[in-house]
This record gives sequence, C-alpha cells and structure tokens, in this order.
Amino acid sequence: MNQRKFSIIGTDKVRKEAPAKARGEAIYTDDIKLPRMLIGKIKHSDCAHARIISIDTSEAEKLPGVKAVLVGSEAPNKYGIVPQAPTETALAIGKVRFHGEPVAAVAAVDEATADRALDLIKIEYELLPVYIDPHAAMAKDAVPLHEDNKYGNIAYMAKQDFGDVDKALAESHRVLEKTFKTSYVNHVFMEPHSCVARFDDNGDLMMWSSTQVPHYLHTMASQVLDMPMSKIQVTVPTVGGGFGGKGEASNNELVAALLSRKSLRPVKVTYSRKEVFFQHRGRHPIEMKIRMGVDREGYLTAIDYDGIMDGGAYGAWGIIILFYTAAMLHLPYKITNVRFNAKRIYTNKPTCGPMRGLGGVQPRFALESMMDDLAIMLGMSPYELKLKNAIDGKHDTVSGVHVRHSEYKKCLTEVVNRSGYLEKHQKLPFGRGVGLAGGYYISGTAYTLYMSYKPHSSALIRLDTESGVTLQCGATDIGQGSNMVLAMMCAEKLGLPYESVHVISGDTKNAPFDLGSFASRVTVAAGAAVCEAADKLLAQLLPVAAVHIGCRADQLLAGNGEIYSKFEKELRMPFWDAVEKYIDAFGPLTATGSYTPPRRTGEFKGGNVGHSPTYGFTAHVAEVEVDTETGEVKVVGYNEAGDCGQPINPLSVEGQVEGSIVMAMGQALYEEIRLAPDGRIINPNLHDYKVPTMRDIPHIKTYAVDSYDPDSPFGAKEAGEGPIQPTIPAILNAVYDAIGVRFTELPLTPEKVLQALEEKKRQEGLS
Amino acid sequence: MHGEPFGYEKPASLREFESLFAERGEDAKILAGGTDLFVLIKERLLAPRLLIDISDLPELRGISYDPGEGLTIMAGTKVAEIERSALVREHAPALAFAAANLGSNQVRWMATMAGNVCHASPAAETPPVLLAHGCELVIGTPGGERTLPISEFFLAYRKTALQAGEYLKAFRLPPLPARSAVAYQLRGLRRAMEIDMLNMGIYLELAADGVTVSDIRLAMGSVGPVTYRARGTEQRLKGMRLGEEFMAAAGAGVAEEATPIDDMRASAAYRNRVIGVLARRGLEQCLEQIGKGRGEA
Ligand SMILES: Cc1cc2nc3c(=O)[nH]c(=O)nc-3n(C[C@H](O)[C@H](O)[C@H](O)COP(=O)(O)OP(=O)(O)OC[C@H]3O[C@@H](n4cnc5c(N)ncnc54)[C@H](O)[C@@H]3O)c2cc1C
Repeated sequence: MNQRKFSIIGTDKVRKEAPAKARGEAIYTDDIKLPRMLIGKIKHSDCAHARIISIDTSEAEKLPGVKAVLVGSEAPNKYGIVPQAPTETALAIGKVRFHGEPVAAVAAVDEATADRALDLIKIEYELLPVYIDPHAAMAKDAVPLHEDNKYGNIAYMAKQDFGDVDKALAESHRVLEKTFKTSYVNHVFMEPHSCVARFDDNGDLMMWSSTQVPHYLHTMASQVLDMPMSKIQVTVPTVGGGFGGKGEASNNELVAALLSRKSLRPVKVTYSRKEVFFQHRGRHPIEMKIRMGVDREGYLTAIDYDGIMDGGAYGAWGIIILFYTAAMLHLPYKITNVRFNAKRIYTNKPTCGPMRGLGGVQPRFALESMMDDLAIMLGMSPYELKLKNAIDGKHDTVSGVHVRHSEYKKCLTEVVNRSGYLEKHQKLPFGRGVGLAGGYYISGTAYTLYMSYKPHSSALIRLDTESGVTLQCGATDIGQGSNMVLAMMCAEKLGLPYESVHVISGDTKNAPFDLGSFASRVTVAAGAAVCEAADKLLAQLLPVAAVHIGCRADQLLAGNGEIYSKFEKELRMPFWDAVEKYIDAFGPLTATGSYTPPRRTGEFKGGNVGHSPTYGFTAHVAEVEVDTETGEVKVVGYNEAGDCGQPINPLSVEGQVEGSIVMAMGQALYEEIRLAPDGRIINPNLHDYKVPTMRDIPHIKTYAVDSYDPDSPFGAKEAGEGPIQPTIPAILNAVYDAIGVRFTELPLTPEKVLQALEEKKRQEGLS
Repeated sequence: MHGEPFGYEKPASLREFESLFAERGEDAKILAGGTDLFVLIKERLLAPRLLIDISDLPELRGISYDPGEGLTIMAGTKVAEIERSALVREHAPALAFAAANLGSNQVRWMATMAGNVCHASPAAETPPVLLAHGCELVIGTPGGERTLPISEFFLAYRKTALQAGEYLKAFRLPPLPARSAVAYQLRGLRRAMEIDMLNMGIYLELAADGVTVSDIRLAMGSVGPVTYRARGTEQRLKGMRLGEEFMAAAGAGVAEEATPIDDMRASAAYRNRVIGVLARRGLEQCLEQIGKGRGEA
C-alpha cells in the first residue's frame, strides 16, 4: 500500500535559494532595472469617503521628466478575483471609498520627479459620511459605498442551516452564548508589492511581479487592459512572502502595466510599507455571536453562529471568505446541528481579504474558547471534551465535506502529553496558565474561482542529456518552498539527487498552468501533477532500459542514479545512459502530468466551498505568564503536534508551523491597524503596527505526528495554514487558566488585562 | 515619500564643524545617526536647508572614567558602543541596559545618545536614566562651553535648552556615592523595537544606617510632554525609612505627579496605574544592587 521508505522525501533539506537570500543576492522584483525604465507612483486619496469632483493633472504633465499621468477613467474595466461580481478599478472612478485609495498615477524618470508630480495633481472632493464601523455602515440612512450594490452597505449575506439547531440547543444540558470580536490585522509580509511592466514592439506585455497568483493576475490584467491573455506574460521573481496579501491583482500591478502602455517605456511600481497597508487584504474583523450546546457527557450538540464581517471598501475575496467561515464551523469536531448566519459589510477602510488560514482563524478563536468554558462548566478537562468530540480517521460533515484522512486525535493526545498539559491545567499558581486548542485546514480547493473544469495544476518534466532534469510547473514559490517540495518529489520518483532537478515555475508562459499559491494547495495539487509526469517518464524510459538490461520493464526501479532490477541487484544501468539510449532511438523525452481535485458540492448556497482533496490537523498548548500588576501577557512555552501527512521536508514543516504560531501570536497580543474617526490609518508602519520580535517569541516545540494520507502525493497534506488556527485560542485559554478571566476581544493588550483584573477584584470584593 | 532637497556637509574636525555651525547654524541641522532626523524629513515634518554630519568626528567620540569626575560620554558615541562599554557597564549599568533597549541592533549602531536626548521625545530611552544619574551636559557654545544639569534641558515637547549656535558635546555622569544605585524600568507592548509606553529612571541612595533614604530621584518618561522628575514625591520620600510604607508612598507619589495623555501606545488611565509599579520595581532593583555592592565590599 503506502511505500514509506524514501531516500529524499522526509529528509531535512536546506533551500537552494536560502544562502542567496541571506546574503541579499536574490533578485526580487524591485531589484529589476530595465533600460529606459520609469518609476511609477500612485496618488492616494486623503479622504475616506467622497465623490471626486475633478482631477487636474495638467501641472503634473508639464513637469520635466514626467512621461505619463494616468487617471481612473482611462481604465474603466472593473475587475475582481470573483469575476461574477467585480467591484474594483485600477484607479478610483467618480468616488473614493477609503483613505489611501489610488486615484491617479504618474510615471517619471526617477522617484523624486514622480513624487513632485504627485504633489502637482489637484483633486477636488465632495466629502461623504465615513463609516469605519460596520454597524454604522448598516444604518438605514447610511450612504452606500457602492451605489449599484443591492443591499446598501451589506455586500453579501449568507445563511446555512443543518440539522435542527433550535431543538438541539433546547435539549442540551448546557448552552453557552458569547460574543467575540477579532481585530483588523495585516499580513506584514517582508517584501512590499512590486511590479515591473514592459510592452515590446509586438504589443505584448511582460509583467514581473511579486504575486502569489500569476494566473489570476494574468486574467485580471487581460480584463483591465482589454488585451487577450495570449499577449500577456506574467513571471514571478523571488518573492518575500504573501500570506494571501498578494492573492489577487493589486493596484500597483495594473497601474504599472497601464503606465507602461501609455509611456511606451518599462515602468516599475513598488509600494512603500504605507501603501501595503492601503492595499491591505488582511483578515476580516468579525463580530461573532455564538451559541454552543453540550450534552451531559460533553458531546457538542449544536453551533449557532451569527457574524458581522467588516469587509472594508471593496469586494475582493469577500464572498469566498464569508462562505469559508461557514464551512470552517464543521470541523475538526463531530457536529450535526450547525446554523450560520452572516453578512459582509462595506466600510470606508482598506479592503479585507484572504489571509493565512482564511475563514478559519476567527471562528476557531471563538469555538475553542467556548469549548474550554463548557468543559470547565461540566467539571471536565478541556482535553477530554475536545478528544471526545474530535473526528476519527475518516469523516463526513453534515455539510457534505468528506475528510478522507485525519490523525487529529493523535495531535491532541501528543500535544497534551508533550506539554504536560494535564499536570499543569488548573494547577499552576495564579498568573500562570496553560491552554489547549485544536484546528485544521484544507489542502487545496475543489473549484477554481471562475467556472472551469480544467486541471488545477499541471507539470512538464523534460529529461535530456545536455541539461539534465527540467521540471516546469506554474506553481509559484512565494517563499514557502514549493520549488523545493516539487523538486524533491520529482527527484524521489526518478531516483536522482534533489539538487539535480531544475525548476522553472511561477510563469504563465514558460511553465504549464497552475492556479497559484493559496489555500495550501500546492503540495497536494502540483505535487500530484509532478508525480504523474514523473511516472509517465519512467513508463517511457524503463522499457528502453529493460531491453538493454535484459529483463522485464515492470521489474525495474529507478534509484541512486541507476535503473535496476528489484530482483537481481546486478541487473542495472546508469539512469542517464538509459536516457541517452531513449533519446537516440526516439527523440526528446518529456512527459506531462496534471491534477484535478475530486468534485464535491452541496445543494445549498456556498455548497462548493470548503471541499478539499484532504485536510491537515494540528493541536497546540500555550503556556503564559500574566504580570498581574501591569497586565502584560508573556507566552513562555509553546507546544504543537500536527498532522500534515508525510512531511516532505520536515525542516520546512517546522518553519511553516513556527511561522504560523508567531503570526497568530502577534494577532492575539499586539497587532491591530488603528483608524482615526476620519478613516485615516494611524499606524501604517512597522514601528507602530507591532509584530512580535525575536524577544517575544517563546521556544516553540513542534512535532509531526505519524501520518500518511495514502491518496496524496507521498502521503502529504498541508502544513502552512492549519497551524495558525489554534494559536489565538490556545493563548487566550492559557490566560483564562492563569487569571480566571475569559477574553473575547483581540488583541489582548496589557490594558485590557489590567482592567479585567481590577474588575474581577471588584466583583470578588462585592460577593 | 521624499523630503525636500537639502545640502550636506561633513566637516573633518571639531574646529571646522564649529565654524561651519556658527556660520550656517540658522538653517542647518546637526546630523548624527539620522535615525530620528530622517524620519522627520521623510515625513516632511522638517525641511532643513543643510545637514552637518558629525557622525565621524573623532573629538566627539569616546567614553572615559575618572574617579573624581565620573563617566564622560562624548556626544557622538554610538548607542551600541554605550551598550557594550565595560566602563558604562561598571559605572552605569542601568544606562547600558537602557541603551540595549533602544531600537534594534542596526539602529543602535547608527544612533547616538546625543541624538536621543536632543530629539527630546518624552518616550526616549536614555533621558530617564541620565536624569536619575544627575547627569551634567557639556554644551558647546560659539567659542566656548557651558554645563547644564540635564534636569534643566528639556523645556517642552521636542524643545531643548540649546540656544542658537549651541550643540551638545558630552555627558558627565558623576561617580555614584556609596550605598546608591540606579535602575531603569520600561514598558512597551512587545519586548524589543518599542517606543516605550512608559519608562522610568530611579536613583536611590541610603544613609549610613542602610535603612534611611538620603536621596532619591524618580525620572518618568511618556507621562508628560517631557521626561521629568517627580520632585514633590522625591522630597516626601527623602528621610523616610525603607519599608512597605515607603514603597507605597513612592508608587502613589509618581502616579499623582504623572500627567499622561491617551495616545496610540496606551491610555492615560493605564499609564497612571502602572507608573507606580515601575517605581516600586525600580526601587527594589536599586536595593538589590546596593545590597550586592555591600556584600562584595
Ligand atoms: C527603527 C527605529 C527604532 C527606534 N527605537 C527607539 C527606541 O526604542 N527608543 C528610543 O528612545 N528611540 C528610538 N528610536 C529613535 C532614535 O533612534 C533615537 O532617538 C536615537 O538615539 C537618535 O540618535 P541619532 O544619532 O540617530 O540622532 P539624529 O536623528 O541624527 O538626530 C536627532 C536630533 O538630534 C539633533 N542632534 C544630534 N546630535 C546632536 C548634538 N550633538 N548636538 C545637538 N543636536 C544634536 C539632530 O539635529 C536632530 O534634531 C528609534 C528609531 C528608529 C528608526
């Protein structure tokens, strides 16, 4: 069944590109300098909601060194990652909807000239009321941000109802109702968005961009520029992270292309950090009112979810994320009565969007917190309650999601044993506590974001005697290491060293189709395509070797740079000799592979969302220390146990898990984009928007539980988005254990902790 | 974002600097590490016509100690040098600690303590410790020098006592008397790269009996427009005997004298609540050090 003896898979490999990155030699988009290249800069609105009365660019155009000035009306085609409901244009037309929205752009010979030109652009606005709170935006007399939207400022509404929630709650032993609020946070990837666009003499457009999704950028550029896709090529240089924030076309990319077309010169548009905050697409703040019931034994009876998502100014990934939030309620616990009722609201702030673990992080925070509360109400260990409800090895949800493989229970047990949770929970001195939480995530999706049934990933492998192994795959390495994963799989299949596989990826022309890097899809989907291509290559090559060796092809294996008989070790030949013989006889040796995920859906709105070929699971235990005099929360210990199937490169899995935990820890304790009442961002820089530093990060112990999904390439599943799910509730559950206060609002600042402690003292004094 | 264009001069000697500064001081700014200055220029809060770079002037670098005069730190000394200096660690460990908490390693190798002090932010890292030490500033004046206690240096938010044509030349930290110590306490949301939401420099000196407070300085940051000492509280605490009553009076006193506002980093209410905790913890640290010193002696 599962061949689990590998020579490359499962070994720690250092990324080929790591030393160059560490030395600052890797070529990122902003490093590209082309002859005659101009610098493009964007003029941002300085009000959050207004009608544009006029834009006067005449002075800017006159400035020497300015080669093109662009306004929104020159590119009126709307775009959006969900093509049925596009809401955005490259530059604002008629109206601005958030402070910092791109309104005009210039291309000039250098940055200083471009900056000066921006100052010369005069825009007249007629101010409209600013809504930074979704409740205010939903008021009856609120001015709609989008006049063509059907329901005022309600962008989307969703309702799903499974089982009989009311009955189940009525019959529950205990029912808990709580409201949770998450905060407005950004991904803070290291590399700001950057794009270089160039038109050649044939009118073809080349875009170098720091995108996660060259394919979707390709489609949106074609739409906005009104050009056939075949005349556009998108290629991705080294990328410094994305986490979802580069998961759709961003304004700088479209503006670079439009300015290049207008100026007839290459144009680069690189964002400042402030502009990254304007582009945003970070996590949706959600206000969630949740009711959850349990029976006497601690089995969950029902979840009733009511949510208001703050969407920001535009649609973007909004509707998808709304339905993901619904889907995420159904796992990793067995639950048959689930009701979801939610709205996504337009507000005058930078647009929310996909961010690592999208859809899951907010409800996970609420649900894992409530499960702890329920367990404690029942006098039960949260571990016992969670384990009781955890899904088994295979599971079907009432929403029709099929989990083909899960080791979630192992994750819970391992992390509890490794952290000493049971010995510590409710037993540590006041001010110190431990918290347990679990989570899961998809490893890819079942559908593209537009109607299409083509394979989601494809790969082409070429073997030749001159340049060795070339693996071409459109999958995009944004720093997560997909080039490495795919090369390791290819090398394992062909029995060649990992270092010998050359990967060409992240390019819409030079590599075959792939949807992009999001939804933790690449290892499973592109991995399957690579495996299929490699298998097909061997199917061509082995018969040639068989003739030479003198045995049956189905008895041959590839390994250690040789092709050999699995029965007689002396029947063998060097791999590359076989390739040479093949090419001498038949010509080029190539093969392609592709992957199309299994299709599943539900007969309800949003029924396509949440299905994945397979799922990753994880459980965390955080240990915290609360300074009861200053309210500071310090995470002093952290354990994780995860089920990512077979880790392809354990070192990279560890990196993904640790990165997830640190990212979520920032969101739990420090991070929040703050807005003034007029919609201006108060902290659009990394000095005032605070991500954790090395000094804040505890020693994190990660552990991959024994796991292998037999239907996945090399048994692998996701490891980059599941592990961000449980961190926030693990920390907040630990804080509860430390000081007996349940926090429901993020981030958990010292101020909130101190206030709560004082309130608690007052209450205890009263009683 | 780019600031307005400016001229740039890098004098090769102190004398050259002084004459240039005397001549062009009006529209010039001294450039040390630039870690505050360029932020202001880029944000267009400041548009100097000329920057005079003193970062490599050998006469303005260096740390020395003299048993009579104490510790002298020249104005151009990098924060990282202060952080690592054996002399500073020995004679002003709280200053080394404060220096180590300023920005990142990269910032500390650019930044100077003079820049930190002259920028005169109420949240700055080093002024509370310098106030606690009773530091004297050596100020270069046209054709001469004057000294000023640092407690008279900060006039208002980002405004110092430097007159036209004057610059900061050196810091003098007098030797610590017997049975005294300085501590530094700071609070930020995270543990590095923080502009403090609160900080405090604490000086404690005990009388020969080892239990009577003979002198005390409590310098608070981020609780008003400048870093300043809680002088009323200091007066009340002097002569008190160590103990819970003293600690409580110190905590309550600084909270009363603090005049914080709500800002992005913390609310006034939070600052008021926690400043007393810093005072107590700082005093405990001082006591521990004094005890240790006695143990060694
Ligand atoms: C990323 C980052 C993190 C930071 N973190 C911290 C922190 O944690 N704590 C903190 O306190 N600060 C912090 N800062 C602010 C800054 O680094 C410090 O205030 C630093 O000490 C300033 O020194 P400098 O040499 O760079 O000053 P500069 O920027 O060169 O100068 C600052 C001001 O002082 C004047 N000046 C400089 N030297 C003299 C002199 N000898 N005589 C007269 N005037 C002079 C200049 O004209 C200017 O007005 C941070 C800054 C950055 C960019």
